[in-house]
Amino acid sequence: MNKVDKKTLKLAANRLMFDMSEEEYDRLVSEFDLIIEQMNLISDIEGVDDVSPMSFPFEQTFTYLREDEVKDVLSTEEVIRNAKDVKGSQIKLPRVIK
Amino acid sequence: MRYLSKPLKEIHDAILRNEVTPLDLVKEGLSYVGKDNNNAFEYICNKEAIDAVNKLDSSKKNSLLYGVPIVIKDCFSTKSIPTTASSNMLSDYIPCFDAEVVTRLKNAGAIIIGKTTMDELAMGGSGTSGRKGMTYNPWDKRRKHIIGGSSCGSAAAVSSGLTPIGIGSDTGDSVRKPASYSGLVGFKPTWGRISRYGMFQFASSLDHVAYFTRNVFDSAYLLNVLAGHDNKDFSSGYEDVIDYTKDLSKSIKGKRIAVIKEVLDCCSPKTIECFNKTLDQLRVEGAIVDIVSIDEKILKAIYPTYFIISSSEATSNNANLDGLKFGSRCEGNSFEEVMINTRTKCFSPLIKRRFIIGSLSLSKTHREELFVRAQKCRRLIVDSFNKVFEKYDFIYCPASPTTAPLFKGYNPRFNGDVNVADNYLAFANFGGNPSITIPIGFENNMPFGGNFTAKPHFDSELLNVASILEKHTGLMNLVKENE
Repeated sequence: MNKVDKKTLKLAANRLMFDMSEEEYDRLVSEFDLIIEQMNLISDIEGVDDVSPMSFPFEQTFTYLREDEVKDVLSTEEVIRNAKDVKGSQIKLPRVIK
Repeated sequence: MRYLSKPLKEIHDAILRNEVTPLDLVKEGLSYVGKDNNNAFEYICNKEAIDAVNKLDSSKKNSLLYGVPIVIKDCFSTKSIPTTASSNMLSDYIPCFDAEVVTRLKNAGAIIIGKTTMDELAMGGSGTSGRKGMTYNPWDKRRKHIIGGSSCGSAAAVSSGLTPIGIGSDTGDSVRKPASYSGLVGFKPTWGRISRYGMFQFASSLDHVAYFTRNVFDSAYLLNVLAGHDNKDFSSGYEDVIDYTKDLSKSIKGKRIAVIKEVLDCCSPKTIECFNKTLDQLRVEGAIVDIVSIDEKILKAIYPTYFIISSSEATSNNANLDGLKFGSRCEGNSFEEVMINTRTKCFSPLIKRRFIIGSLSLSKTHREELFVRAQKCRRLIVDSFNKVFEKYDFIYCPASPTTAPLFKGYNPRFNGDVNVADNYLAFANFGGNPSITIPIGFENNMPFGGNFTAKPHFDSELLNVASILEKHTGLMNLVKENE
């Protein structure tokens, strides 16, 4: 795997909707170098690409489908209680159409 | 008279003898919590705890948790009680429901007296990255050694005798490692045994509810209270709930225990010395102990595999922290600006770096080489340990290579120099195995632990072997009170 450069990291941060200081990006570049080094070692382990990816510890057997019943409903008041800016029953955000 | 530094049974007996009331216990707890000097608390439930104890249902008096003050890691939703996950992103978030664990504890009569500090959003193993800064190890009055994380506050509260029970979460070793550093029992039951509903997700395929106690019996009793299916958690198991305390004294004669040579090789001489004594104690009980080997390449792959999988899942799980619907919000001229400004200001650099690593690992360009390869490696790791479990009932190793490391020089970044003994515990998260740390010794007055792990669903057998060894070492109910 090739080295990950600062530009790629900045684009990723941009997609994740945050920014970091230049110093942090520099640190992350070197951190990524180590990650790639370690992952390259993993790619050398015999048989690693011969097994299927493991997504969960083990399968849980489900024997039911949940009934489509309305329950544990939150009131609008409760839902919006933690929002910083509320108008009526809605969360208020900066105007979209100027 | 102090009660909360005692085992659950003793506290319960004191209540039954009318020697102490639940209100007395809560007052004792709040009084000591108020004087906490380990930075163990995000929120102290002064009013909520008194209200709860005044409403306590006396029909629950048979429960050992009746009227017992407990603490909860701040990543568990608690209705009407602030829950921040030690992140500035959630600095004034108040959930409108209880996590299932909280509901079950309340139903058993427990009283929540505090929400405890943690590494931000449970990412980290040092107990230093939460919004309130470093949490201190009660065993080190010079404040130079970490207590470990991410469940740092709960560990500090239990080991300093403020409460007999601290709830935590364990995604890599976040309860079992701090337990080693603070002289506690740290137990992570089988994946799916305890509902995760209402626990903030860090890495869903690895997250477990786990907890600290000061003896194995209390851990077993707590599992009786917390185990069982929950329709609200898709990963919740269906196995019957048994009485996990009933077989604690059962003979372990003939049980086969494997010690991983490569883990032992990375431990300090003092750790090895104490550990070897415990092997002799297990042999005295009739257990068959063998030293076995696992391919070092596999063991060294545990940490990078964990790092890639957990960072990837965390990126996705925390996408809801957008600064719009709940939690902190910074100003901006558009909703995108609000999101960017809030996430930039409120996430710590460590969290942002992990999100970027996770996001790139999931990206089309790098997915196969990073995330999918890590998932494949996870299977190889689990297969390697399962091969050991084909012949052995338990894997038993030191829970940490040494006592708690110093704050100074502790590197929370991804470190290429992988110490196998420092990182192997995550194998039990990969495979969902029950795993328990108990104290086994001291070096320079700082404790360290040994760790037993069993096959999934063998929680009762695991508690049994830990309880037998605990009786031999005599290292139970350890408390290091504040000075």
